[in-house]
Amino acid sequence: MRYLMMSKTTDNTPDEKLFAEMAAFIEEMSAAGILLATGGLDGSGYRMTAVGDEITVTDGPFAEAKEAFGGFALVEVRSKEEVLELGRRFLKIVGDGESVIQQVFA
Amino acid sequence: MPATDAHRAVDAVWKLESAKIIAGLTRMVRDVGLAEELAQDALVSALEQWPGQGIPDNPGAWLMSVAKRRAVDHLRRSQRLDLRHEQLAHELERAEPQPQPEADDVLRLMFLSCHPALPAEARVALTLRLVGGLTSAEIARAYLVPEARITQRIAAAKRTLAEGRVPFELPDGPELAGRLSSVLGVVYLIFNEGYSATAGDDLIRPGLCLEALRLGRLLAELAPDEAEAHGLVALMEIQASRSAARTGPTGEPVQLHEQNRGRWDQLLIRRGFTAMLRARALGGPPGPYVLQAAIAVCHAQAPTAQATDWAQIAALYDALVRLLPTPVVRLNRAVAIAMAHGPAAGLALVNDLLADPTLKDYAQLPGVRGDLLARLGRNGQARAEFRRAAALTRNTAERAFLLRRADTLDATEPSASSVERPTERSVPNAERPTEPSAAGLAQTSEPSGGAEPPDPSESGLARDAAPSGRTLGWAAEAFLDRDDLDPATARSYDQTLRRLRLSLGADLPLTALTAAEVARVFATAWGAAAATTWNRHRSAVRSFAAWAGLGDLAAGLDRRAGTGAPTAPIGPERLAALQSRTDVALRERTLWLLLHESGAAVTAVLALNVEDLDLDDRRARAGIPGPTAQEPRTDGPWVSWRAGTARLLPELIGDRTRGPLFLADRRPGPARRPADGDLCPDTGRGRLSYPRAEYLFKQATRALDPAGQGLTLRQLRTRD
Repeated sequence: MRYLMMSKTTDNTPDEKLFAEMAAFIEEMSAAGILLATGGLDGSGYRMTAVGDEITVTDGPFAEAKEAFGGFALVEVRSKEEVLELGRRFLKIVGDGESVIQQVFA
Repeated sequence: MPATDAHRAVDAVWKLESAKIIAGLTRMVRDVGLAEELAQDALVSALEQWPGQGIPDNPGAWLMSVAKRRAVDHLRRSQRLDLRHEQLAHELERAEPQPQPEADDVLRLMFLSCHPALPAEARVALTLRLVGGLTSAEIARAYLVPEARITQRIAAAKRTLAEGRVPFELPDGPELAGRLSSVLGVVYLIFNEGYSATAGDDLIRPGLCLEALRLGRLLAELAPDEAEAHGLVALMEIQASRSAARTGPTGEPVQLHEQNRGRWDQLLIRRGFTAMLRARALGGPPGPYVLQAAIAVCHAQAPTAQATDWAQIAALYDALVRLLPTPVVRLNRAVAIAMAHGPAAGLALVNDLLADPTLKDYAQLPGVRGDLLARLGRNGQARAEFRRAAALTRNTAERAFLLRRADTLDATEPSASSVERPTERSVPNAERPTEPSAAGLAQTSEPSGGAEPPDPSESGLARDAAPSGRTLGWAAEAFLDRDDLDPATARSYDQTLRRLRLSLGADLPLTALTAAEVARVFATAWGAAAATTWNRHRSAVRSFAAWAGLGDLAAGLDRRAGTGAPTAPIGPERLAALQSRTDVALRERTLWLLLHESGAAVTAVLALNVEDLDLDDRRARAGIPGPTAQEPRTDGPWVSWRAGTARLLPELIGDRTRGPLFLADRRPGPARRPADGDLCPDTGRGRLSYPRAEYLFKQATRALDPAGQGLTLRQLRTRD
């Protein structure tokens, strides 16, 4: 089963150690065949709304910086527990913060 | 956290970490079986502690250090404690507190679990268990086999590795290529079992595909310089990208050229292309997986089925068939050539494969053939091929699909179907014929007891005005369904006819059943069989042909000579010499003489009881045990003897009045107590068994046999 893991941006300033640990974690997940795709997300972005025939485009999907997702990972795992374990490891590395995990149906 | 949730969390951690832990431990203790036990012990500790204390920051390292402590304890406690173990335990204790598994450990573990010394099934099971971290129950569920069988397979595999002292090392040089190809083969085998599930209700078992993809990706990272590893990953990623499009709404298979390409998983396709680029970048002549991946890339790149570059694919198959000339590759090449150069060209290649014994039960062969025949407008034959494919496949969804294809052809060609289908049957395939029509086959059944088969001109079929309406399946059913066949004969005939039906299709019109077709089936199915087997099937076909009035279907089949000599009867002089030997017991002398004088079957003679004997008339009627233990013995043939036996019998019988005439040497053990009828009420000994009697005769006659094998009891029977 596939899950999309999205992590909200944090105030923590990344240091060398975090970069190294993150790189090792990503490498390990790729090697294990778990990580299918990953990337960072621009918190500003665009928001499109449809009301009747009217479609409006406004700047930024997130009004508040702490609501913005800073990155995502698409993973393929055997169970819900596995993805939660990956999330746990991810949060251990990045420190305080919040992640949202949703299953992806193909 | 509730206990079950905690257990499932621990299980998830285990699956993520077990390969590294087992691999690291195996390097330390040099025994993969012991390593797995230790790792399992650590897992038990985790199950006890983590639900209360929470999962540690680095669960892998936690499990590893617990397992390592267990390893030291185990080595110290071990009964076999010797210098080597002491040293090993000492080294383990001195090693750094947080043992770091080496990067190559998991790769070594894969080489070990895919070792060529193990049978293919064991490699698969062991790899899924040790590298994939699956439990025996999970593997059993994925393969639809009992868990006990998987457990036993894994235990046997570990034993083989331990007994063969297979080293936990990376092979180098030329050996590496061979061992790597074994690992690749196992991974692809797992993928294929998942991707084209050979049995069961689902066409795809996603769990196995996912495991194979994981293992393949892992392998490609561990052996990044091996182009074939990347080729395999590319192949699997691209094939997996089509999973969603491969089945329709009711689970039926959708063929590649009919798939909705919009449902192909572009993410996996892109990953496949990336893996392919890595394989190409390594250079060198492409291996089988890279070539197969290149074919998959061709399909993935085509925006529509029509835009597929079949010429390129056919060329890739030409290259592949040179490296991997397996029947399946040749079949796929035939498909590609049919697409590139027309169905007739493909059909010629497919027909070449019909005689290949390895494909005799391969449902894809008649499936492809049916497809090509349908495209050539030969609907009648195509329909028969689809039904044959349906009879061969063990996959429910595929069977339904093939039968539907056969039926679609019926609908599109009403004129052809009225000629080739039996009109009295509306349900296709495998239905038992209800009542054969008036001139039906049941009336013309062959008399039993080995009498001459009826004259074909008398046969119902020959007289039938419309023999074209009869199919092989229908005739075979009617042939076997007679009352006058004894069960053994019916069983034997059934084997032969089942193979004919599977190979030629139950829907083959009887008129199309030719000696050449029969000869082809024989060559494929029993070409390598023993002479007796071959001849048994041959007589079954002859009997069937005579009954159905089909002429000589066995024309292309020569009766095979047995190995000769052993059936020659033993001469009177040699028998007399045997009788005069002092080292031969009375029981054997009596048995042999009785066999010789009566000419009766060995089974009948060994079945004789003391109370059956009429010593004055020198004859006895043997009881033949019923087919099951409960059924009473029925009267068998008369056995009669002459003066020689008559002189020996009284001494052999002694005081006995009942029970088996020929007794075994010893009383049976409590676990092997035979039926009451086979026990002597006076001595408690059992009936002499055929194998034992045969063995004793062989021993005694070894000197008489030029080949030194000894003679068989059957040779005692006089032939006149």
